[in-house]
Amino acid sequence: MKKAYLFYTLLLLTAGMALAYASSELQEGEGMEQPPGEEGQEDALQAFDKMMAVLTHKRCVNCHPAGDRPRQGEDSHYHNFGVRRGEGGHGLPALQCATCHQQENNDYSGVPGAPEWGLAPLKMQWEGLSRVEIARSILDPARNGGRTLEETVHHLTEHELVLWAWEPGVDANGVPREKPPVPKEEYIKAVKEWAVAGAPIPEE
Amino acid sequence: MSESGTKKTFSRRKFIVRSAVGVGVLLGTGYFTRPIWRRSLAEMANSMEPSYMGDTETPQLWFEVTADNQVILHSPKVEMGQGTFTGLAQIAADELEVDIRQMKVVHAATATGNIDGLSTGGSLSISGLWQPLRELAATMREMLKNEAARILKTDAATLTVKEGVVSGNGQSLAYGDIVKTVTEWTIPDTPPLKDVSAYQFVGKPIPRLDLRDKVIGAPIFGMDATMPDMLYGAVARPSAIGARYVSADTTEAEKMPGVVKVVKEKDFVGVVARSRMEAENAKNAIKVTWETGKNWQSEDIEEMIKVGKGEPFVIQKEGGAENVLDNGENIIRAEYKSPIGAHAQLEPNGALAFVDGDKATVMISTQVVRITRGEVAGRLGLDEEKVNIIPTYLGGGFGRRLHTPNAMQAAVLSRAVGKPVKCFFNRQEEFQNDTFRPPTHHVLRAKLREDGLIEAIEHNVSSGDVMFGSPLFPAIAQPILGADVGAWRGGMIQYGKIPNYRAVSWRVKLPFATSWWRSLGLLANTFAIESFMDELAIKAGKDPVQFRLDQIQDDEAGHRLKEVIKATADKAGWKDGVHNGRAMGFAASTDAGTPCAHVAEVSVEGQEIKVHKVTCAIDPGLAVNPDQVRAQCEGAIIMGLSAALYEKMTVKDGQLTPTIYGPYRMALMKHAPKEIDVVILENADAPGAVGEPPLGPIGAAIANAVFRLTGRRLREMPLELT
Amino acid sequence: MKISFNINGMPQSVEVDGNTPLLWVIRDVLDLKGTKFGCGKAACGACTIHVDGEAVRSCSFAAKFAEGRDITTIEGLSAGDELHPVQQAWIEEVVPQCGYCQPGFMMATAALLEKVPNPTDQDIDDNIVNICRCATYYRMRKAIHRAAEIKNANS
Repeated sequence: MKKAYLFYTLLLLTAGMALAYASSELQEGEGMEQPPGEEGQEDALQAFDKMMAVLTHKRCVNCHPAGDRPRQGEDSHYHNFGVRRGEGGHGLPALQCATCHQQENNDYSGVPGAPEWGLAPLKMQWEGLSRVEIARSILDPARNGGRTLEETVHHLTEHELVLWAWEPGVDANGVPREKPPVPKEEYIKAVKEWAVAGAPIPEE
Repeated sequence: MSESGTKKTFSRRKFIVRSAVGVGVLLGTGYFTRPIWRRSLAEMANSMEPSYMGDTETPQLWFEVTADNQVILHSPKVEMGQGTFTGLAQIAADELEVDIRQMKVVHAATATGNIDGLSTGGSLSISGLWQPLRELAATMREMLKNEAARILKTDAATLTVKEGVVSGNGQSLAYGDIVKTVTEWTIPDTPPLKDVSAYQFVGKPIPRLDLRDKVIGAPIFGMDATMPDMLYGAVARPSAIGARYVSADTTEAEKMPGVVKVVKEKDFVGVVARSRMEAENAKNAIKVTWETGKNWQSEDIEEMIKVGKGEPFVIQKEGGAENVLDNGENIIRAEYKSPIGAHAQLEPNGALAFVDGDKATVMISTQVVRITRGEVAGRLGLDEEKVNIIPTYLGGGFGRRLHTPNAMQAAVLSRAVGKPVKCFFNRQEEFQNDTFRPPTHHVLRAKLREDGLIEAIEHNVSSGDVMFGSPLFPAIAQPILGADVGAWRGGMIQYGKIPNYRAVSWRVKLPFATSWWRSLGLLANTFAIESFMDELAIKAGKDPVQFRLDQIQDDEAGHRLKEVIKATADKAGWKDGVHNGRAMGFAASTDAGTPCAHVAEVSVEGQEIKVHKVTCAIDPGLAVNPDQVRAQCEGAIIMGLSAALYEKMTVKDGQLTPTIYGPYRMALMKHAPKEIDVVILENADAPGAVGEPPLGPIGAAIANAVFRLTGRRLREMPLELT
Repeated sequence: MKISFNINGMPQSVEVDGNTPLLWVIRDVLDLKGTKFGCGKAACGACTIHVDGEAVRSCSFAAKFAEGRDITTIEGLSAGDELHPVQQAWIEEVVPQCGYCQPGFMMATAALLEKVPNPTDQDIDDNIVNICRCATYYRMRKAIHRAAEIKNANS
């Protein structure tokens, strides 16, 4: 426990430092004016709740799986046909993600698509993690692909593959896929607010 | 013959001759005089009595001889992968005295060719045509020889034939040359057939004739058919069980891009458009009102299908099994189940039809050419002779193409626009409107004697319909047969030394269509009986292979079954128990007269059942093409494994589901055994059934191995260790 | 919209709705019937083709994405009359039964051999996940190994 607490503090400090570097640019963005005061902290934690409601949703977690097998569908079953991650996260030599998944959703086949369709690296595994653990993971350069907070925010709010979650298309039966529980604009705002507030992570 | 188009019909109507541009054509006719109804239907379904029901009235095309000395066989049986074309070519080539490379086989179109009155199915194509095709080919050879003798001014007896060339008297004439010159043919009596040992091609592993077409992607399937000015159709299909078409609002559909016409009929609504996707999109825009009934669930079906709920019919009875089992002590009882199965063949059902005035042409993958023609003619109000069904290669049959209402629908759409219309199911519709393998429930009871052998055994199988309700068999057959021979296929006790045995078939009418699925009831019935036999052997403390051998009767069928069982055990190196983490499971069955046994070598990793090797011995009698017998065994084993381990349709809120591969789990490459060892015995002089018998034992063989590995007796397919 | 691409080495332009699955353009507009429709949901693999050398399921590939790409179908797999090693191996092992799914399997296999010249059984299990209802998998596996031999001997 003690160790975990220490890690948590260190992480916050790291995050704070990263933010100091990033905030000048971030302040240009919408909803970033509030400096992290006490009230701000509470807002930030509310923003955190919103953000995590999205990041723990199956539209995100299905492609941040534990291990080499993507998940799919509303029940997050293992991807049909034993599909695997492959070396670069984009599938096996003759069974690439792009064998079926293209640049955009295909309404005829019900196969979802977006640029760079693929799995998050194994280090970015979210499946099975609590929201606090996920938050730590996305702030940890060792696990987030060496991203700064700014880069992380950029990934979370502007990457087409991430934003696909709000345009998930229809499934093989033509049934619309479930979207994350928070509207896209609200989510983007929340991520930015949380980051500006120093990316605080509540206790488990 | 001349090329001027003269036509001559012979009084005996065995052969007629006609011409075609550039080729000499020979036509053979109605050889067959015994309609199928004179045979016992039950016997046909469960024995190996070969059945071929050809047209008996009008002359029909059997062989064409082309100018370049090729022989084209117009096959009344369709090619759906089972290798029938190749086998028939081998049979014909040997009596015609042509090389196999001179043989070509095409599907007989109804306008010209011999129409099989039954179907392509039941593993009966080769066995059914074995005798008639040889006689036809031999007669034609003699006829050609006689004409050659006339031309060469010599005695036919002095002539020899090799590779389609008649020689003698220092001269020779190719078949292709003969047919070009002869105008009047004399039909000889059917000559004696050659001894099987003299055949060059029968019995040899000749490569499939369709190999090259099938590796280069040649357009040979129903869905590949085209006609000039062809349009595309789509028909709105019900998604719910029991849904009946009431009406449709087509306002939106009519405005969709590419739409040529929306066609409303009393029983369906469809659309014709310029392209496939435009037709699909427009169909999806039709607002159909369906009348639906009960909101069916899987639990309803499970309850209906239980033994005791339907109508019973005793299909086998020897001694007093009931008396022993109802009143005795130490009765062993077990229940088994199998799920609803989908055909899931890769080429969806559909047809290309062109209705041109009072004539109709339909190109289609069908197993029931005659019925397809009847349905189209009936719907359009045309004479059957005006409807030409041109069968294509089938992208899988498996019994799915014994019901082809899509031909009739395509024809109706074509008539509405006056152009050829191609109309196919999409995959979702294919799953929802399948004619499924019915679910089954089995109750088995037995009593062992003190010596460990069986004193009495009883098998009760409850199943949805297979044969009943099918257009293949008129309703009149039902009271004659009593029970659905399709449903109980494989359901009889094959151990004739048991003093008391009994089998009862319970008929249940389900709310959705159930029908023929490769091997019919065999897979489920053998799963139940042969798993139960394993249970009994274990109870008796006996080796399961010896336990079976000890209880098989000593007649010919029994002898052949015993030989198959012994060959399988020998080849597999049969060992009971678990060795190096693997166990063997044994099972055997006899289907349509062909005995077959499997040893499955299995391991269990976590909850996964892994089948590493299957050893199979089969005795189909004479193996016309041993390599294709082998191929059928390999395919049937893996298809049966797929059904035994993975496949299952469920009923949820009135819908049959799933409707797509993946969620409908099927064996993939990784699930197929890495080793399949097939032993072919030939303990009969004539060819018997091949395509379905090897599906029988696989489910039980796997389940019996799983019991040895885990101590768990899995009594329900798909087998699951959860 | 007008879409231009190379197919089996030949330039081609078609005028279709850009969202039309490439499968139907290949089959119905270009009349190359070797590429099969099995499910339309990218689940069975019967429609597998190569796009710039990669295996792609054409039923789930909008025609507009073909713009400027190199497409190969089963008809273009062979070099003239000389069959591709995969096709040769398929004939040697007498793989097809009904044959409907085989073009898709052969295209997937050809793509695999370009990346993995000597596939192991595990490679085959992982990469070749098309569906064959006749269940010719046993011979297919042998044919894939054989195709690798032929291909490697040629190169």
